Order: sequence, then structure tokens, then C-alpha cells
Amino acid sequence: MEVRGSTVSPAETMAGNALLDEVRAQLAQIPLLGWLCGTLLATAVEQTVGESLAKALSLPAIPGLFGLRIILSPLFEILLAVIQYRRDIPGLVASLKTIAPDLALIPGAVAFILLVYILPTLIVARLSAPLTNRLAKWLLDRFPLWVSLLLHLGLFYATLHLWGDISEYRMLILRFILISIILTLSLNLVNGYMGEFSCSHPGFMAMGAYASSVLTVLFFVNDDVFGAPLLPPAIGPFMFPLALIIGGLVASVGALAVAIPSFRTRGDYLAIISLAFMFIVKSVIENLEIIGGPRGFMNQPKWANLPIVFAWTAICVWMIYNFTRSTIGKASCAVRDDETAAGAMTINTRRTKMVTFLFAAFWAGVAGGLFAHVMGYINPGTFGVLKLSEVLAMVYLGGLNSVVGSIAGALGLQLLMEVLRPLELWKWIVIPILLIVLMIRRPTGLIAFTEVKIEDLLRPRQTLRSSAQVPGEGR
Amino acid sequence: MPLLQVKNMTHFFGGLRAVHNYNLAIEPGQVRGLIGPNGAGKTTIFNLITGIYRPTEGEIILDGKNLVGFQPYEIAAMGIGRTFQNLRLWRHLTVLEHVKLARYSKIRYGLIGALFGTAERYREEAEIEERAYRLLEMMGIHHVANQVVINLPYGTQRKVEMARALASEPKLLLLDEPTAGMNPEELTEMVQVIRQIRDELGLAIFLIEHRMKVVMDLCETIQTLDFGEVIAEGTPEEIRSNPRVIDAYLGKEGVA
Amino acid sequence: MGRRLKIVIFSLVGVTLVVAFIFLASGMSPASFFQHLLNALQWGSFYALIALGYSMVYGVLMLFNFAHGDIFMVGAYIGWGIATGLVALGMRGILPLPNWLILVLTILLAMFFTSFVGMLVERVGYRPLREAPRASAAITGLMIGIILETGNLALLGAQRRNFPSLIKTQTYHLGPVTVTNVKIMIVFLSLLLMFGLHQFVRRTKWGMAMRAMAYDFVVVPLMGVPMNTIAALTFGLGSALAAAAGIFFGIAYPVLEPYMGILVGWKAFVAAILGGRGSILGAALAGFLLGFIEIFVAAIFPSTLRDVIAYSIILLILTFRPHGFFGEPYSARLRL
Repeated sequence: MEVRGSTVSPAETMAGNALLDEVRAQLAQIPLLGWLCGTLLATAVEQTVGESLAKALSLPAIPGLFGLRIILSPLFEILLAVIQYRRDIPGLVASLKTIAPDLALIPGAVAFILLVYILPTLIVARLSAPLTNRLAKWLLDRFPLWVSLLLHLGLFYATLHLWGDISEYRMLILRFILISIILTLSLNLVNGYMGEFSCSHPGFMAMGAYASSVLTVLFFVNDDVFGAPLLPPAIGPFMFPLALIIGGLVASVGALAVAIPSFRTRGDYLAIISLAFMFIVKSVIENLEIIGGPRGFMNQPKWANLPIVFAWTAICVWMIYNFTRSTIGKASCAVRDDETAAGAMTINTRRTKMVTFLFAAFWAGVAGGLFAHVMGYINPGTFGVLKLSEVLAMVYLGGLNSVVGSIAGALGLQLLMEVLRPLELWKWIVIPILLIVLMIRRPTGLIAFTEVKIEDLLRPRQTLRSSAQVPGEGR
Repeated sequence: MPLLQVKNMTHFFGGLRAVHNYNLAIEPGQVRGLIGPNGAGKTTIFNLITGIYRPTEGEIILDGKNLVGFQPYEIAAMGIGRTFQNLRLWRHLTVLEHVKLARYSKIRYGLIGALFGTAERYREEAEIEERAYRLLEMMGIHHVANQVVINLPYGTQRKVEMARALASEPKLLLLDEPTAGMNPEELTEMVQVIRQIRDELGLAIFLIEHRMKVVMDLCETIQTLDFGEVIAEGTPEEIRSNPRVIDAYLGKEGVA
Repeated sequence: MGRRLKIVIFSLVGVTLVVAFIFLASGMSPASFFQHLLNALQWGSFYALIALGYSMVYGVLMLFNFAHGDIFMVGAYIGWGIATGLVALGMRGILPLPNWLILVLTILLAMFFTSFVGMLVERVGYRPLREAPRASAAITGLMIGIILETGNLALLGAQRRNFPSLIKTQTYHLGPVTVTNVKIMIVFLSLLLMFGLHQFVRRTKWGMAMRAMAYDFVVVPLMGVPMNTIAALTFGLGSALAAAAGIFFGIAYPVLEPYMGILVGWKAFVAAILGGRGSILGAALAGFLLGFIEIFVAAIFPSTLRDVIAYSIILLILTFRPHGFFGEPYSARLRL
């Protein structure tokens, strides 16, 4: 094939490819354990020398989100200035001058990312690879899977904690991302695994948020409306999981009200009924003066700190992963693909749909409860069409029918929304356009219908030489 | 006592009488055929037996139990497996998953096991998988066990559907045109498979078929259906020479 | 035909009965009752016009056009732009037009331009996804809606716009009931547009093609019906009606804001479903019904309860008539 307009000669490309292959081969030897050690060290580096390094690189502070904002926002500003002063050249120059100092920060930010995140991670991960490989193998061989899993989760949590410790902002973003993961995964159960289109997730979230908030405020907080705490506030944090679970159950009961009329017939009825349900929930809350009505409900104790949110997210991912891999869970995929055939193969289709839907609603409720106790304040306006668009976008961005996809979707969209914050209003034009393009290119999302087995994630990576004999290695 | 007995079954779609006064008795281990021109109501009879439609009148008795009014999944769990005329596979699932899912009603670990991944669940899943592999081996499709069905050739898909129906451990297997759309090679293979199923698993088979050769080869007795009514019943030889059957297929003033 | 007629008669009788029941149960005076009835007709005609667009798209292409509420908003703004522009031209003496002509021009031009917005939405957001799962198209619809809202905010700013008052409001007193010429005009024009659409769908070749597509969009394109043209036409027609609704809304409640589509659009969507898939009559009736419910709920109960009660009634109806008023039972071809 003729390569036109390419300045790179074939030989050069091949050399480039060879280098890339070599890098890829080197990286393929690192097990997950190694990567986690690397990131942990990187965050530790940031903890210890981040401040002074940032100062040395003449950055005002440690970059919040991997310096993405520092790099992108001047570019946006230039773009906006160009749009604003199309014909007014002096004005353009003047405004560009005000942007210039921001622009000067970019090299520093890039250097910071390289020095603090990328290099330490790569070096530690690669150097420790022989050790971590052996460790991963030993863990898997000698102990049950969950020991290794817990170790990985622990390391991951430590990384997150160190990273989030730098600023209040990071802590908040992290918890929002984790909550979004719960929401996205649970909605994916309905829209992906079950193939229905549910719009009531914000409603379930609101039910969970309000139910758990009422419980915690009633029992553990001195509130104007609910009066003195019924139980000593000291035991509150221990009862918090119970409040969340009750919130989830309340959401499940709400889901029952949606499920009973809509699962009698197949088709679009779930979409409409769940949409109406969402509006009803919002409107009912607005009419309940005791929980603040349209003004919102506040005074929730902020118990949903990072470890709590992380633990709940881990439990949610684990349970949904378990569920979707079991034959009972896969029955919902069978119902989605062909309901008649599912019935003829002994699958109780109605029960399957109910169970999946209620389970999804439960997690939406838990996510709502966590959200309420992160913010310490909720109002019904939060749980409307915008939230629905957001969660749906996360599900379809990440990919239907995929646990990893949902995690990626929640993470991706949440980060995107943060990174594009300097765009202000235009953010809500750029993100939808990106999503539309994505939908046209990949209608089922980025990582749809892909399963990653935990065993595969945790397993040691062979060195390249010996991997040739092992089939299925180093895909 | 016959395994399955259908007594005076009649079914209306609105004002249209699709099946009229239909009777059937299948003994264990028997292979029975159901033939008839297009639109005679053959598939409707299958749908009535498997509970997709509820008969307007009549009884369907399996092992002494009346099936009328039960949901399709309950009837399937009682021991009637089926395949469909137009393949009804689950397009995003693998062959192995198909076969495993057909054992849904026999799973004992329940929701708790599914959610929390108990040891019992893994043991049971392994057991189901083991059985599924054996079944796939018997059908000769174990090499595609982990492929998504939509990518498989047509003949293989037919076999997947049959393996799936067998995995629910039916006492009676309903095959709706098992050889439809197959090339001659696939056809002989399929006939072989059906024979093997009958011989090795010893279940009763009731099949709808358009290819006379297949029906004549496989079935002990054959029913001929026309306009929802049985017009002839007997051994292949009897059916072949029955003038009413010839009429039904070729028309009354059929080409001489 | 006989069956259809029967349905129409039955539903009219039903509506009358419900209205009579509300009248008796609420204990309103006849005067205030008729006042509310008139308001309900006007309010319902917005819903009905918008619901028609949802219903047509849903009927022909089996899609939820989640951007339709925002097309209503765009239509209102286009109408506002044209009307303000023409009034300004008249003020400067460049193009002095009588007010009624400005109104007519505004309605016609806004419908014309908005139909192109609708076709653009179809071309950009829905056509590339026709083979994709329908849910993905729903996502693009939601996203286009957000783009339209935010785009409006970015271009015109957050302040509310006032629709120029083109007709001098005249109030007629029929006994204790007050009637304004604006209300009568809005209701009359809405009914006229609906009737026009009905005739278009029943009598023209294009209308027949649309009905055929609604019946089966897999086979019909194979019969030589140009699917893309029909899809564009469906979106165009629906958007034109939404634009008309937008202008009427602007005339009746002269405040426009970028998020007005959310407020009205989603409810109209639910009304469209209530009417039954692809049923023009159903969508119109359901729109008016929703108008009645909302106005009377607000009249009898605290107005904050309006949404709860309206949606609950809809849920109740859908529970017992899952296919809406005039929808045929069908099995959705879920293309996942």
C-alpha cells in the first residue's frame, strides 16, 4: 500500500515500532501488584517532596488533577479570547498577555507530572517486577483468591488515600468518582445486562439519600426539626452502614412500584414508567416540608469519608461482579437477548428481571446515601433530568454489559467534567459533542461486552521469554 | 401410561381456530413426527405444549400432571425441552453459557450465592460446567465452547440450540424443524445426532419436519396436520401412501 | 373506521364524564369552573402540539427523541427573534407591517426554520445511529438537548426574554366568565394545526409513507419508500409543530428561558406515550388531558402537588392500559 504524505520512511517507522514493542514488552512483565507499588510510591513522593518540587517548578501549588487543568485551561482561554476578539486585534493581544503567565506554567506542570507520577511509577513497577511477580504467584498459590484481592485493594486504597490527602478538593473528587462508579454499575445492570432502559436512577438515589439522611439526623444529630439525637452520637459512625442499607432497601421498595406495572409487558414501558417515577419522587420530596421541601435537607453528619466510600464501592463492585458472572445473573442477559427462549430453558423471566432491577435500585439508594453524607446537604433539584443524563452518559460512555466499562465510564466522565471546568458554560457543549461522536463511533460504549476476570488481573505476568509457550498470555 | 398425553386440545387466535381437537400420546423413548403444510398449526401445537400459549380447551398431561396454566419456565423445568424453528439463541452469550443457563431451575445456591460468591456456588458452577462440557462433547461442539454464538456457522448454531435444550434434562424433547436451512452434510450429521440423543439419553422426541426423508428415517409414527386438525396418523409407510396426506400437500386437484 | 369512531366517541364521553365529576367533586362555581376549563384547553394545546412531535418520531422510527422539548424551546426563541426583529424594523420605519401580519409571518417562518433544526438534529444525532441500539440514540438525543440549552445560554445569556406583545389582549365577558382573544386564538390555531397534520398523514403520499414506516420500518424501506426522507420529514413536521407551540407559549406567558423545554417537554413526552405509539389523535387527546389534569389539580389542591398528581394519574392509566389510549400491542424490536 502506498503511504502518501508521510514524511517518515518505512525503516524509521519500523524502528519506532520496534522501540514501542520493546517498551510494551517491558511493561507487559509488570503485574498489577507492581503497578500498585509504583503508584503508591509516586503518591508518597508527592506527599514528601511535592510541595517543594512544585515551588521549584514555579507552580503555585501541587497540581490538583495531574496538572490537566493547568495545561488545558490556558488553551481554552486562548480559544475563548480568539472567539471573543475576532476583529479586535489589540484587544486580543491584551487578553493574550493576561493569559501568558498561565501559559508559562505548562512546562512546570508537565515536568511535575513526569517527575512525580510517571517516572517513579514506571521505575518502581519495572524494577520490582521480578519480586512482585513472585509475590503475586506465591499469594495466589498459597492462599485463597481473596487474600490476594484484599492485599491489592489495600495497596490501591493506600495510593488513593495518599493522593487524596494533598487537598480537600482531591478528597471530594475521589469520593464523587467512587459514588459515580456505584451508580453507573448499578444502572448498567438494568440498561446493559438486562437490556431495558431505566430512567429512574436519580429517583432511587434520592430515596436512598433522604431515607438514610433522615435516619442519621433523627438518631444521631441535634437538629432543629427532628430534635435531640435519640441515640448517643458516638455510636453513629458504627450505625452508618445500617442507615445506608435501609436507604438502599427503601429505594428497592420504590423500584418495586416501577417494576410491577412495567415488567408485565416487554418494550418501552419501563422507560416511560421509570421516567414518570423519577419526576414523582422529586415532586413528592419537594412537597414534604418535614424534610425541607424544595429548600433541601441538611445537617447530615459527614460520615462518608474516603475509607467508607471506598469500602462500599469495593463491596458494590465485588457483588455486581459476582452476580454478573453467576448463572443466575447471566439469566438476565438471556432474558435480554431472547425472552421466549429464556422461558423455554427454565428461566423464570419475571423473577430474573425483578431481582436484577431491585438489586440495581438498592445500590442506587446506597450511592444516594453516601452522596448525602459526603455533602452534608441534599436538595431535590439534584435528582432530576440532569443527574439522569449524567448517569446515562457514564453508562454508555463506559460500555454496556461490562463492569470495567462502567468503572471507566464513571471515572472518565467525572474527570472530564472536572478538567473541562475552566470552560464554564462551554463544558456542557463540549462534553455532549464528545459523547455524540462516541455514540456514533461505538454505539454500545468504549468497553462494551467485555469481562475482565479478577483472577486474570491479579495473576503474575511471565517474563517475555517464557510467555511464548503459554497460550493466551500477554494478549 | 404415556409420558405426555394431549387430550382434545383446541386453540383459537381471536376468531381463528388454529388447532382443533388435537390428541397425542407419546411413550418414553419414542420418536414421533409432526408434518403438515405451512400454516397447518404445527408450531402452535409446540407453543401450546410448552406453555407459551394457553389452550382454549383441552388437557396436556405430563407424567400425570396437567400442564395447562403453568408458565413456560415451569413447564420447561418439569421436563419439556425444545428448540425453535428460527434459531432463538442469546446472541451475546457463549456456547458454554447457553448450556449452563438451561440448568437455571436446578441451581440450588440461590441469590445469596450469586451475590456473595459462596464456596457452594463455585462448587455448583463447576459441576454445571463439567456437565455442560460433557454435553458439548457429545454434540461435537466442545471446541467452540467459549465462542459467542453469533459468530458460529449455522449448523453449529443448530447444535448449540439442541445442546441447550438437552441441558435442562428434559424427558421429552420438542424439535421444531431441526434441519431447516441445512446443507446435505449438516443434515446427515443432524440426523445422526438426533438418533444418538434417542439412543444414549433415552428421551422421547417429538419433531416437526419438512424434509420427508428425515421424518421417514427417524420417526416411529407420524401425525399429519392440516388446518389445525390431524388428518392422518400412522407409520411412515402408512403416511406415505395415505391419499389425504397427498391431498393436503398437493391440493385436491393436485398435479397427477 | 367504525372502530376508530367508536373509540373517539367513547373517549369524548369519558372525558366529559371525568370533567363533570371534577366539577361536581370540587364544588367550584360554574363560572370558575369554565374559567379553568378554558385555561386547561390553552395549557393542553401546548402539550398536545409538542406531544405530536414525540409521537410521530416514536411511531415512525421507534425512537425517543429526547431533544424534542428543547426543539420547542428553540422554536420559541426563533419566533421571538423573528417577532422582535420585525417589530424593530417596523419601529424604524424600514418595514412597517401590521401586527397581525407580523404574527402570521412569525408563526410561519419560525415553523419553517425550526423544522430545519429538527431535520438537522435527525441528520446529526439519529441517522448515524439507525442501526445501533435504540438506547444509544436516546443518549444522543439527551446530549443534543443539553447542547441546545447550553448553546442558547452561551449565545443569548441567562436573562429571560419577553415575547413582544403583538396582539392587543381583548377581554370578553360572557357572564361571569372572562375570555381573551389570545386564548381563543391559541386554542383555535392549535386545533387547526392538528387537523392539518391529520389530513397530511391521511391524505398525502408522504403521510401514507409515514404510516407505512410506522407499521414496519424493516420491510417498508425495501419497498422503495425513501427512509431518510421520511425520517427527515417526520422530524421536520414535529419540530414545526413544536415551534408553533413555542410561539403560542411565548404569547400566552411572555417569558422565555433556555430551560423552558425541560419543564414542558418531558411532560409532553409522557403524554405522547399515554396517547399510544404513533397515534396523532391519541397524542393530541393525551396532551389536552394532561392540561386538564394539571390545571384542575392546581385549582383544587396546592399547586406544588401538580406534578405528583399528574404523573401518578399517568402511571395509573399506563398500568391499566400499557399501550396508551390508541396504541396497538406490539413487541418492541429491541436492537441491542
